[in-house]
Amino acid sequence: MSILTEHTGAANHAAHEQGQASGEPPLRAERVTKEYLGGSRVALDNISIDIKENQITALIGPSGCGKTTFLRLMAGLEYPTRGSVTAYGKPIMGPGPERGMVFQAYTSFPWLTIRENVQHGMKIQGFSKAEQRDRAEHFLKLVHLDEYADAYPGELSGGMKQRVAIARTLAQGPELLLLDEPFGALDAQVTWEMEEMAVDIIERESKTVVLVTHDIQEAIYLADRILFFTRQPGRIKEDIAMEFKQGRRFAKKEELLVEPGYVDMEKRLYTMMREEIQGRIS
Amino acid sequence: MNDAPLSGSVSRADLLVADDENLKAEAPLFKPPREQFLGLRGSVGRYQSMFLGMVGIIALFVAWEIAHVMTPENQQKFLPSVGQVVSKIAYLFTEKGYIADVAKSVYRIYVSFFFACLFAVPLGLFMGCFAKIRALINPTVGGLRYLPAASFVPLLLVYFGPTDFAKLALLFLGCVFFLTALILDNVEAVPKELIESAQTMGASRWHIVFRVAFRSAAPQILDSMRNMIAVSWTYLVIAEIVAATDGIGAVMMRGARFLHVDIIMGGILTIGVLGVLTDLSFRIAGHFLFPYIRARR
Repeated sequence: MSILTEHTGAANHAAHEQGQASGEPPLRAERVTKEYLGGSRVALDNISIDIKENQITALIGPSGCGKTTFLRLMAGLEYPTRGSVTAYGKPIMGPGPERGMVFQAYTSFPWLTIRENVQHGMKIQGFSKAEQRDRAEHFLKLVHLDEYADAYPGELSGGMKQRVAIARTLAQGPELLLLDEPFGALDAQVTWEMEEMAVDIIERESKTVVLVTHDIQEAIYLADRILFFTRQPGRIKEDIAMEFKQGRRFAKKEELLVEPGYVDMEKRLYTMMREEIQGRIS
Repeated sequence: MNDAPLSGSVSRADLLVADDENLKAEAPLFKPPREQFLGLRGSVGRYQSMFLGMVGIIALFVAWEIAHVMTPENQQKFLPSVGQVVSKIAYLFTEKGYIADVAKSVYRIYVSFFFACLFAVPLGLFMGCFAKIRALINPTVGGLRYLPAASFVPLLLVYFGPTDFAKLALLFLGCVFFLTALILDNVEAVPKELIESAQTMGASRWHIVFRVAFRSAAPQILDSMRNMIAVSWTYLVIAEIVAATDGIGAVMMRGARFLHVDIIMGGILTIGVLGVLTDLSFRIAGHFLFPYIRARR
């Protein structure tokens, strides 16, 4: 872990300490139900789950299963109809910088340079100028964009824009990293490079991560634990620990493919996915 | 410098016909079919584009000149030649203090438009950001758009008389409601994810309104302004027809009283040129205000 990650903004730092000391899980959903259209559509049905510290938890499931809705509840961008979602024991009453989010759509501000984009979250939270500069430098290096610090987002490729989003989100010093299909808009080869970079970054920064993805391979490669969601009503069909990985994370994706147990896991998830979409047209 | 493509093709050629030297040489340039003049979504170069634009303008003046020549001699004063109109404009400038009228009209357009922006930008921004403000104001503003600005002329005359203020008010009314509606559209078009990602960074509401939503929509807002100030120019003559003593419109009305068609057409030409210059000034402003738009991959 870099020394820089210790220098979070004062208020944020305090919240962080308090949160982790309380012994509460980073995120807890208790009997969460989310209904849309006055109850005619049940996106999430009575879900109770804890997200564990320093783990990467992947939410997967068929299209429309409510996995993104679940993530948005954790981000505080939406609220549950019933039940509660808490972060370190405190109910989530809206979005906040301690729960950083990376979206599928490109969210870099086009009018700011890459460096200014990365500094923006810190600026909002009142980091000192020197801290902003140092941390931006650190995180831009981490995503290999230090050479592009003075470019505008419009000049970058899709993969680079998502790297800006990741750097920006980490730079604001979140306790939790919420990733909503972050590589969903990228082409296959860039996705694969980004997945490897993500493993590297999460390992270095030791973050608690919740990842929404529709890509089974990506989920197995990145996650320590997979929550498989069913569709309408959205429930957790299975809570699967990636035991075959024995707590390791792999720097290269092909190292995972030859790991005993990988193929079984992939087959199991494909089978579950097929059961879910059987007879339904997505 | 041609090493890379060549070495690639060599190994392939070796596999196919090892002894054919021809295959190792660089292939001749490929000639794609010539682009048709009217190729669908075809390309046009910078200079070609300028040239074609000039051709269009010249064609208009040529058509005008031909129409003038074909008019019977005793009617020609109703359709003066291009030269006559241009020399009339020159005469107006040198002998009649036309510059003061032009300045007055420009002043009216810009001052009224400034106040229209002062009204429309915050209103459009707040309506785009806050659903309740939108619900409160939009039906009214939406309805007011349908009132013809010219119909306010008698009312403004009664209220304010033949004052400058009446003219400014008419120009203001002519564009303010449309401008508000356009800016509302611009703000609503700001991607939802931009707002949400600012929220997850801990941005306050006002930060998001001014530093994210407004900043994000700013280039489109400037475009809306550029389009609406064009509409403002079209209202100029209406504003200056009644009880005006100065301004381009007043000069034209005086010309009409004495059937001086060359003065009327000179006025039209002046407004056209000023309109184009206004448009250009907005484009140049955009160029410098939003450098990141140019920095595209």
